[in-house]
Amino acid sequence: MTKALGSSRLSRRRFLTASASLGIGTIAAPYVARADDPTLRITGWGGKWGEIMKAEIGPAFENEFKCKLQIDSAFPYLPKLQASSRSAPIYDVMHTNSNEQWAAAEMGLVEPKIDPKLVPNLADVYPYAISDKIVGVSIFTSAIGLGMRTDKGYGSVSSWKELWDAKYNGVRGGYVIPVNSLGQAFLMMCGTLFGKGQLDLDAAYTALEKLKPIKIVDFTGAMEKMLLSGEVGLCVIHDSGIYRYDGQNQPTDFVAPSEGVLSLEQVLTITPGSKMKELANAYVNYMLRPDVQKRLAETVWYSPANRKVKLDAKYDAKLLTTPEKVSKLIQVDWKWYNERKDEIDQRVNRIFRA
Amino acid sequence: MGPSHSPSLVSDQEAALRLATAPMRAIAGRRCYGRYLYLAVNISILTFLLAPIAVVVVFALNPTPFIQFPPVGVSLRWFEKFFASRDFMHALGFSLEIALLTTVSATMLGASAALALARGNLPGTRLIVATMLSPLMLPAILTGLALFQTYVLLDVGRPTWGLVAGHTLVTLPYVVRTTLAVLHNFDTRLEEAAQNLGASPLRTFFEVTLPLIKPGVLAGAIFAFIVSFDQFPVSLFLVSPGNETLPVTLFNYLKFDLDGTIGAASVVSIVLAFLVVVGLDRTVGLRSYVKL
Repeated sequence: MTKALGSSRLSRRRFLTASASLGIGTIAAPYVARADDPTLRITGWGGKWGEIMKAEIGPAFENEFKCKLQIDSAFPYLPKLQASSRSAPIYDVMHTNSNEQWAAAEMGLVEPKIDPKLVPNLADVYPYAISDKIVGVSIFTSAIGLGMRTDKGYGSVSSWKELWDAKYNGVRGGYVIPVNSLGQAFLMMCGTLFGKGQLDLDAAYTALEKLKPIKIVDFTGAMEKMLLSGEVGLCVIHDSGIYRYDGQNQPTDFVAPSEGVLSLEQVLTITPGSKMKELANAYVNYMLRPDVQKRLAETVWYSPANRKVKLDAKYDAKLLTTPEKVSKLIQVDWKWYNERKDEIDQRVNRIFRA
Repeated sequence: MGPSHSPSLVSDQEAALRLATAPMRAIAGRRCYGRYLYLAVNISILTFLLAPIAVVVVFALNPTPFIQFPPVGVSLRWFEKFFASRDFMHALGFSLEIALLTTVSATMLGASAALALARGNLPGTRLIVATMLSPLMLPAILTGLALFQTYVLLDVGRPTWGLVAGHTLVTLPYVVRTTLAVLHNFDTRLEEAAQNLGASPLRTFFEVTLPLIKPGVLAGAIFAFIVSFDQFPVSLFLVSPGNETLPVTLFNYLKFDLDGTIGAASVVSIVLAFLVVVGLDRTVGLRSYVKL
């Protein structure tokens, strides 16, 4: 008995050996565990999108493709991708808006196009989703138009130009253009409305000058709240920012102006240095699948890019689900915009600073 | 019988006294105004400091999903949403974990470094101190980006220890600075006396040196905890998917859902920071170190 106890006594050497083994084991365990499953590293939004991706869409993909999906929802994606090695990028698939995708493509950080042979569902998307204005593929889009309060007696609104009406002085809402995609798209729309087209920046700047006084915010979420609180009566906003409050009896409505709505695309691209190309293509294909598209569209009020998606009546009535509705979409030439972004930023900063 | 004074003499004396004390009364009057001014300035500063907290509390307790003033009622719905959210709870726990690990590492490293700098007769001490304080001068977002690039080059990904290392880097200067402050007037003869009486260097450190420098070390530790818990720019680049800290989670949340949950999370953060300070006060008696 005594001998048995004595043999199990903890010597200093044993203690140190055990501690070192435990320490190394603890540090190495996650890497060892991860070694079995391939990991696809993607980016993704927070909010409702993030919730459903974590709860349903992501786990279903992991089960089907026997892999781990690592979703980075902490901005900013592009600087992180830029900082990582081209041959071992931090992401395999990047999900962000079109303007950022174009910037990434210009730097060679993402592949400009998706191969339809590797992503069969690409055959079913609306033309805008793979047009020459798109890098990669747009899996969803929102319509950028006007959001208005319905309880202030403003009357009906049908044109973008009504945003310049003096009755909205003090309750007009827009964005900090250098940092917000909606603001940038709206600037291009100003060129179309008051000049020779999207590329008529001089006409756009003049129009912006006349838009003052205007309340400007960085984030779309902030604009939603300003509209809900009544701080803003008419503003530039995307349809999902209004429709997401459906059923809550909010005195707000989305207006699709007669001149057309701007497209705010949710774009997926694959990084050239990804070691998980097959899985990356499978993920893009999966996100374009009608059942996945329907589930996401009805959760976050984004218009699906796949033509074959059949949404429930409530969503079908409001979202862009037919070729006729989709034809109202105006896509921005982000490549052109990004090439002039610094100059545009300086000019609009001067306009709104004054 | 005492000497008698004629009324005219008394009034003369009073007049003389009034004349003599007139400047003093004028000074007292000015002091009184000065006191009011002093109070007004202090109240203004306090209001300025506390106003953002008041706005956050109002936002957190307001039932509407947007900031509304005056508030239309009191509701705990945003606190319910915050505590029911798995993401927020995970982020809160992770932030506390990182802040505690950072506090331990920054305190140990910072206090040791300060001791070495104060005692070690090192060449280029001023340069070393300036280097150790340099993370405070560099924009934290650049520190975060630089660390991120370093980890990428080392091919270690974005591990938790990497985040702790990043936080330690930006909190270390606080511990170094506060510990150096108490070491500035440290009487080394006390250590010599202990050693003359037979105490080993280790015992001298724990029984003489540490108790004397404790105010500075503790103040640095508190700074380290609070700075780490609220750290955003460094965390932005170093958090890994699924392991986001509370400030990063809040930032991502408010891009899409700017509702009272942000206010509730802020109130919880403020209360936690307050509890840490109160807890330290109760356990180690911060009040005795107020002179710091």
